[in-house]
Amino acid sequence: MKYQLRESLQRYSLKALSVVSLMACFLVVPGCGGPSNSDGRVITEIVLPTDTLLNLRCQNVGINTETCVLGDPENPFRTTLTLEFNVNDPDADTKFDLAAKLPAGPTGAKSRFYLWATALARFPSGENQWFTALALHELWDAAGDPIIQEQALKAYRSQLDNFFGAVVFFECCAGLIPGDPTRPVPFSATLNELTADNLYRTEATGFARLIPGDPLLAQSVIAQWGYTYRPATAPLFNDGLVFLSVFP
Amino acid sequence: MRQAHVDIKTWFRVVRERQRYGGVFLFRGIKKACAILLASGVLVSHAIAADVVTTYKDEAGWKLQVNGEDFFVKGVVWGYTPRDENYNYNLWGQPDEFVRKVLDYEFGLMQAAGVNAIRSFNFMPPKWVTYVYREFGIMVAINPLVGRYGAVIDGRYIEFTDYSDPRTREFLKAESLALVEKYKNVDGVLMFAFGNESNYGLSWSSFEIENLPVGEQNREKAKYLYSLFNEIMAEGKKIAPNHPFTIVNGDLQYIDLIAEYCTDMDLLGINAYRGNSFTTLWEEVDQKLDLPVLFFEFGSDAYNARTGEEDQLNQALIIKDQWREMYHKSYGNGEEGNAIGGFQFEWRDEWWKYLQEERLDIHDTNASWANGGYPHDFVDGQNNMNEEWWGITQLGTVNEDGIYEANPRMAYDVLAEVWKIDPYTHKKAAINRDFDDINMEYIELKGDVRELKVARKEDRKLLYLTGGSLNVKGVLKADEANIDDFGDDGDEFSDGQMVFVDFGFNPTKDLEGQFTINLLGNVANQSPIELAYGDRGQPVTVQVTQEFDGIDGEVTVGREFRDRERIEIYDFDSQYQGKYFDLDAFYHTPRYHWKYEGDFFGLVREATDIAGQDIYNSKAPYGVEFATKEATETEGFKFVVGPEIYWGANPKWIAKWQSSFGKVLPFVGDGVLGKTEFSVIYFDDLDRGDNAVAATGPTTRETRAGTLYTKTSFNDDWSLELGAIWSADEKEGEEYTKFVNGETRLDTVDDEDSFGFKAKLNFPLLGGLAYVGGHYAGLVAAGGDPLKEFGTRLPYSDLGNKREIEAGILLPVGNWWFFPRFLTRDNLIDANPLIEPDINDPILNPGSIPRNTDDDPFAVLDNREVDAYEFFITYDPTGATGFYQWDNDMREDARFAFNIGLNYHEQPTITDSYQFFFEPTNEDIPFGVGLPDQDIWIVSSRSVWNPTTKWRLIANIERSQLQSTGDPTGGTRTFWDLDGKVVYDNKHILAGYYKEDAFGPYDFQRQFNITFPRYWALDYKFLMDPKKSEKNSSHLGLRYIWRKIDDDSRITDPLDRDNDYQWQLLAYYTMNFGGTNPPEARF
Repeated sequence: MKYQLRESLQRYSLKALSVVSLMACFLVVPGCGGPSNSDGRVITEIVLPTDTLLNLRCQNVGINTETCVLGDPENPFRTTLTLEFNVNDPDADTKFDLAAKLPAGPTGAKSRFYLWATALARFPSGENQWFTALALHELWDAAGDPIIQEQALKAYRSQLDNFFGAVVFFECCAGLIPGDPTRPVPFSATLNELTADNLYRTEATGFARLIPGDPLLAQSVIAQWGYTYRPATAPLFNDGLVFLSVFP
Repeated sequence: MRQAHVDIKTWFRVVRERQRYGGVFLFRGIKKACAILLASGVLVSHAIAADVVTTYKDEAGWKLQVNGEDFFVKGVVWGYTPRDENYNYNLWGQPDEFVRKVLDYEFGLMQAAGVNAIRSFNFMPPKWVTYVYREFGIMVAINPLVGRYGAVIDGRYIEFTDYSDPRTREFLKAESLALVEKYKNVDGVLMFAFGNESNYGLSWSSFEIENLPVGEQNREKAKYLYSLFNEIMAEGKKIAPNHPFTIVNGDLQYIDLIAEYCTDMDLLGINAYRGNSFTTLWEEVDQKLDLPVLFFEFGSDAYNARTGEEDQLNQALIIKDQWREMYHKSYGNGEEGNAIGGFQFEWRDEWWKYLQEERLDIHDTNASWANGGYPHDFVDGQNNMNEEWWGITQLGTVNEDGIYEANPRMAYDVLAEVWKIDPYTHKKAAINRDFDDINMEYIELKGDVRELKVARKEDRKLLYLTGGSLNVKGVLKADEANIDDFGDDGDEFSDGQMVFVDFGFNPTKDLEGQFTINLLGNVANQSPIELAYGDRGQPVTVQVTQEFDGIDGEVTVGREFRDRERIEIYDFDSQYQGKYFDLDAFYHTPRYHWKYEGDFFGLVREATDIAGQDIYNSKAPYGVEFATKEATETEGFKFVVGPEIYWGANPKWIAKWQSSFGKVLPFVGDGVLGKTEFSVIYFDDLDRGDNAVAATGPTTRETRAGTLYTKTSFNDDWSLELGAIWSADEKEGEEYTKFVNGETRLDTVDDEDSFGFKAKLNFPLLGGLAYVGGHYAGLVAAGGDPLKEFGTRLPYSDLGNKREIEAGILLPVGNWWFFPRFLTRDNLIDANPLIEPDINDPILNPGSIPRNTDDDPFAVLDNREVDAYEFFITYDPTGATGFYQWDNDMREDARFAFNIGLNYHEQPTITDSYQFFFEPTNEDIPFGVGLPDQDIWIVSSRSVWNPTTKWRLIANIERSQLQSTGDPTGGTRTFWDLDGKVVYDNKHILAGYYKEDAFGPYDFQRQFNITFPRYWALDYKFLMDPKKSEKNSSHLGLRYIWRKIDDDSRITDPLDRDNDYQWQLLAYYTMNFGGTNPPEARF
């Protein structure tokens, strides 16, 4: 074996050396370059926007299935995790925890839009669409920009068109569960009804109605979208119904 | 999934060797069989001494004599390969009774025509040599090939035999002489001949010879070849002095070297394809060798490439002319007198010659080479030699004995007349008269009448039925919860029926193809334990809204749709062979990768696991290939375009141009660094496809890439491969995040991130073959499927973002192989951990998100940082049936062969997030979190036993600790996986497996980290036609599968009942009426 090795090495040493050198150059030269972990801009502290001027990244930003918000450099959440509820880890933080930390009122509206639009782009769901629409509604209420008004209406309509049967879960009223005084009670709400209610009643959102004038106009717009709305009634306003319109 | 058979090219060559040497490697029960035959008295009554065969010469010329009697060789090249089989078919492995029936049929027909000798590429066992001689008077030329198609030397397969290598010469000489020893006293042996056109296969390289011009190189190599032949013949004549010795040369090439080196040769054996005349051959041999001439191959094909039709007349006319000339040149006719006969090529058509692995039940009309010696169908620039049409008989249909009949062509009848003429008793004038008296019109008419009588079903038509199969099954299944709740009514029965019908078409001489239609009856519901082809016909429930009387408004209800997709095109392919290019359309037929054709980065993936795809009703590969007429594995231009040219591919086009510099390397010069080949490949996705690989593999983003590749072969052992890739430049400018030292950073993809470089050096070391390789790939410089050989489990990856070094050495020691391998890799940019964001008004800390390949330009997945060690020990005493070939279970012929291996992968870092394909919304969804840093290991062993020719046992044992390929939930799994198969007499097949804490048998189960505490299956199958392989035989069987389930099995019962197990019993029956059986469920 030793003899074989020696003979082999003697025979091929010169060629081998040149070949290995060629190979090494081929790999080492590019290998010395390339990206490094230290490149790039640190984004650990992103100052959230507090203004109400929203530049739409694309025509359908915030509308399912458009995902351009993920490439919007003004979107502070485009590199942020928007965790969905995980049935296997129900106690983990979610996007709702993040949303809860945003400033209330107009100074947080723009961030809220980016948060929910980002969540929608990553995970199409009724609640993400509805909260995106609500954030646009809030922004319009704050700034009065007709472009945002139109976008908010498109977002609400998308909720009906794309996620008609979706629900959202709320929690409230701790102390109602026997033996567990701190645990709130979860309950679901049908998003198509909340959508129609948001358009129909100022009190539903606390914002100006997107369709000014008589609330019947809101019903008319909803009808133009292909749905029939039977408004909720006082005092709880939880009995509204939305149907698919049936045309002869 | 089955291990990709990436070393198919080597495999092809190995099987070719095996085909030629079948007799050497396969048969272990010969002594026993001989004893049985002798005892039966078949041979005893005819026992005589071995014959004495000599050459004779006087002034009138040469003769061959057997026991002193003149013997003009009126021979054929004989072999028996049924339809639907190829070189792998082994007649001698069949029961003696069947072999005898075949020989009786075949040699009876030969005897009737006057055949007195055969040459065969498959070694006929000695007892059968004697049998055909004594029963039919037909002798056999024993023809060792002496490494013509490579050789297995010291456990290592050598593709191009180096006749200058001392060890190779020693081995081949010993092997050939052993055969001489074995056959020397066998009655019926005519002579010993060595090689087969070996002068055309002088392809090995070495440092010394490569420095000579090409012509001189081959001449120098030929000297080694002929000197070895002569050494064998000289030694052989001492062992078997009563038989002549010769070689089988390709025409008269190197005749001067033959004269110089083959001084112990008794006659000149050659293969000659010169058309209807051998021209100056006789005179040249007479002058330069002064030896008799025996043709080991000559003849004409029976297909007219010009008209695109069978042409029996021209075949017969050419053959008649050839024999007339041979008779003229025989002893005593006043000419050279050196013709002593020949073996007509060939006895019967071989339907496997074209493609060799595919279309085995179709008589292809592909012409593979051009020869102007056959002017009746020669057109300049076009091929006219049709490899599947050389028989003097056609390959007919199967008869009641299970024998594929030989339907005589006109050439058979002409030869029968020719062979009635004795060249030694007739002088030239009489010979001419007798030849002229052969009534060709009558024979032609006779042939026509025979054709009508045979009325062969497979006559070429525009469209014709080639076969099919019928599959019937019944399934009974249950689980614990239902049995507890409902007792005997807790199980569920369903049945299924399925028919495949295969059609061929050949509307013009340039266009042919085939397609298969699948029809479903009922569809048995084997879910969830088994997924099976045909599930497309399962009922589906769709949510619909409708109004009901008495109900205000519309109500959403589920409506079941049955009888869906009962008919589909299962597969299709067609080949158009034009003057300047070939066009191959393919749909769900196997296609191989291009890794041996210059695709260093594996851009074209293999699509051969058709049965695996059928589970999910994938129809890949699907597309069209255009190849220039001169395109080969190493030269030319190819272009492929299609919706899914391999499983999971986006709609794309891909082009490859490949060539070689000969011995010139740019900037280095002529002859310095050996032969260099190079290739350029480019592909561009046309759109993003929505076809997942397996059930839930993610789809890929639309992209493009180009590669450059060069390979320099210094000799057979030293080679250097260099490659560069430019990939996914469309991602330039895309942002990505990285988490470094507690900080999140935002960066963008630059242009240099699209580039990658790869190199691999193969070289001899310590008597084995070693390699070292390196691979640098920019962040988005993803390639394709890397080449994996010898069953490796090293964690290769197609993704970019890596620096990789690998090395290994294959050390053969006798029948043992030792193969340590190593691969180390790190990432240019590490994976992102999952760190939740936080907001401290008005500051957002975005945390860190594991990347995925949809939302980010790249991700760290199977290209993760790793130090991987692998060590395999293999024992395989019959290296020709490669232990790591994909079909070794079927082909391994060693009495016992096994391997044992260890893999250990140190994985010190996490991965980014894998994704899965969610079919309802047709999108990829990330798991959201990566796999943790965790070492994994595998200890495995595979063994094959062939204790007798009737028994075969295959066993696989594996103990592993592995991670999921997607969902990390549940952690790393440690499990047992055992499976085995027992085959008896090619009739009874018992297969099964046992898994403990292992992933289920389907890809998605590992992807979702789904395991079962225990999972076992047992399948018994009875082959009703044991002469056919398992895939072609009618059969019936019974299969039972049982699995225990727990929380890791992710099988939830909505009623939360106790449900600890599930089982299924499947009974199946497949009736094959030609062609390949339907795909079977992967149980």
